[in-house]
Amino acid sequence: MLIPQTKNIGLPLMNLMRFKGLPILQQLHIEEQLLRTSSENWCIVNDGTNDPTIVMGVSGKPAELLEIESVLDDQVPVIRRFTGGGTVIVDHGTVFVTFICNKEAVPNLQPYPRPIMSWSSSLYSKVFQGIGDFHLRENDYVFGNHKFGGNAQSITKNRWIHHTSFLWDFNVQNMSYLKHPKRAPAYRSARSHLDFICRMKDYMPRSTFMDKTMDATETQFSLRPIQLEAIRTCTEAEFCPSSRFLTNEELEAAAVALQK
Amino acid sequence: MLCRRILLIKVWNNGRRWLLPSSSLSPVPTTADYKRHFSTHIMAAFSLPQNNQFTLKIPYMENRCKFSSNAVADLHTNGIVDVPLAQTGEGIAECELLKWFIQEGDEVEEFQPLCEVQSDKATIEITSRYKGRVAQVLHVPGNIVKVGETLLKMAVEDTQVPLVTLSNLENEKQPDTKSNKDFTGGVLSTPAVRNLAKEHGININDVQGSGKDGRVLKEDVLKYATQEGIIKDPLVTATATADLGQLFHREKSSLLESAQVSGHYEDTIVPLRGFQRTMVKTMSMAAKVPHFHYVEEIDCDALAELKASFQTNNLEPGLKFTFLPVLIKSLSMALSKYPMVNSCFNEESVEVILRGSHNIGIAMATPNGLVVPNIKNVQSLSILEITKELSRLQQLSLDNKLSPADISGGTITLSNIGAIGGKFGAPIVNLPEVAIIAMGRIQKLPRVADDGDVYSASIMTVNIGADHRVLDGAIVARFCNEWKRFIEKPELLMLHMK
Repeated sequence: MLIPQTKNIGLPLMNLMRFKGLPILQQLHIEEQLLRTSSENWCIVNDGTNDPTIVMGVSGKPAELLEIESVLDDQVPVIRRFTGGGTVIVDHGTVFVTFICNKEAVPNLQPYPRPIMSWSSSLYSKVFQGIGDFHLRENDYVFGNHKFGGNAQSITKNRWIHHTSFLWDFNVQNMSYLKHPKRAPAYRSARSHLDFICRMKDYMPRSTFMDKTMDATETQFSLRPIQLEAIRTCTEAEFCPSSRFLTNEELEAAAVALQK
Repeated sequence: MLCRRILLIKVWNNGRRWLLPSSSLSPVPTTADYKRHFSTHIMAAFSLPQNNQFTLKIPYMENRCKFSSNAVADLHTNGIVDVPLAQTGEGIAECELLKWFIQEGDEVEEFQPLCEVQSDKATIEITSRYKGRVAQVLHVPGNIVKVGETLLKMAVEDTQVPLVTLSNLENEKQPDTKSNKDFTGGVLSTPAVRNLAKEHGININDVQGSGKDGRVLKEDVLKYATQEGIIKDPLVTATATADLGQLFHREKSSLLESAQVSGHYEDTIVPLRGFQRTMVKTMSMAAKVPHFHYVEEIDCDALAELKASFQTNNLEPGLKFTFLPVLIKSLSMALSKYPMVNSCFNEESVEVILRGSHNIGIAMATPNGLVVPNIKNVQSLSILEITKELSRLQQLSLDNKLSPADISGGTITLSNIGAIGGKFGAPIVNLPEVAIIAMGRIQKLPRVADDGDVYSASIMTVNIGADHRVLDGAIVARFCNEWKRFIEKPELLMLHMK
């Protein structure tokens, strides 16, 4: 009886929020709010989002990254998020895992992009132990040389967020909304998108991935489940998140500017 | 001597920063004094020790050595400080400026966020190291700023920490009860120098200051660190990106050797990177697999004759025949009969995947560490094709140019440790494979014939390490017998020729 509790003594506390099918914009708003207004550590897991949505990094330029005509024709929502990184199209086949930590939460971890990226990959190495030659490749999680997880971060004065979208499954047609980006990792070696990515479901059942991720996190943190309502407090009124939908007008203007 | 060494450290750090911004040893230099410093005060000899692989052409450097203690004081000649882009950590060369949180004329506090930048996947808040006033903003959002380049200029006061009695500056050890975050310590220095001390785990109160009023300068911290053995000649503790791994590794090992030769018996920290780092991970995982080992001796006389014959009748100059290609082809023959030995184990689903291709990995010792490229589809290759492919992979691994395809997808591994020495090893499987074979050196040993006569034979001892979750002794024994048969009687390979 005593043993399960004693194993957590000394581990920093991390609040865990689990969602299923939460709209991605709402997830991003929650994440940004927690990053900027909370002083606790958080893990957010969203098991698939609802509608297919394109999510660009903070400085993503739609004209360069998206097939705007198709996006507009099919009315695919486009979000610009608050973290850096590239463009993804997410849907119910995407699994999201986010860590939001104080700078001191992980001992000896320097609060810079690469060390945080390495730390996250060591956590997921435990999840994918012995499976499919998992490793961190530049900034992506890969099996062999096929990407199945993309990462993005934001580092503030005292805290950092590292969030990952995992391609548990994807719709080939949806990928056609995305252009081949100008800045691509070297290991992509000019492969087409479909030759570059792979599906996590070919390697591991979805629930197993969730369970193992929680287990791996619990080796470093003491996880405490929290409901969404608990964080809907006064801070929500004061805080204005920056992740937002791009309007049709903005997308059309980008398309026009490209043609010039 | 010491000052020249410090200068080399500075020059080395600066040179590396100029040319290899992604591989600087310490976190990116925090002040812009390097630029001004080296352009106006210091001309330094830049030379790498004996076995350097390259010479760096660095602007501002000439072959003379001067030493100046004005470095940090330059910051304050006119009260304006250049604030460079820093705080991004290793591996980041440049960032896009996203937005400013301040504007010209604003008063800022130490650690107040100044701006947000983006690198690759991260947005990063850059905070101020100084308390002061924003004098001039040098970039607009959207600009790409190199790490170390000046972001803005600030007007700061000359002293930023309270004055304390000079007795604190004596070189006696003080009890290190303060945490690294305690900035209200008792010596004069700038935040940049304090940070440097903190990065090296040095209590700045322990450092004797050589500046005005006993101020602790950057050189003082570096000198202290060297004296305390916290930093060595930075070439020895260099961290390198994967691309430069080979270069640095060679220098590292030659320096380690020369250090010992010259009598410096001190500890050296060697961060593990590249192949060595990968080995830490893979071996840790593999150690969890329940192994058993099967040992056998194989008579290689026929193999030696075959090799000699290949060499004698070799029509392609530059192609060298060794034992390995025949061993590899025979292995593939045996795998065709015992496909379980050429499989992958999926722990999750408790399934064994019998791999169709025989992608035989050959463990290679390179200057950068252990690497295992594999020859794909050996079942469809001739011995000549295997020989050529092996040679290609060996050359690539020595040049550290193996592609990801070369090192992934292996189904079984051969470790020819005997090429270096040893009778046999107890190898650890290369996950997710289920078997690995270590081959010892071929030795001339006495054997006893059926009629009682003693004769000499070339004997190679092999040790097959196997995953006992998948394979048992019987399968491995039979598989090994089959392989041994082909090696001892290579003419049997012809039976399977198509």
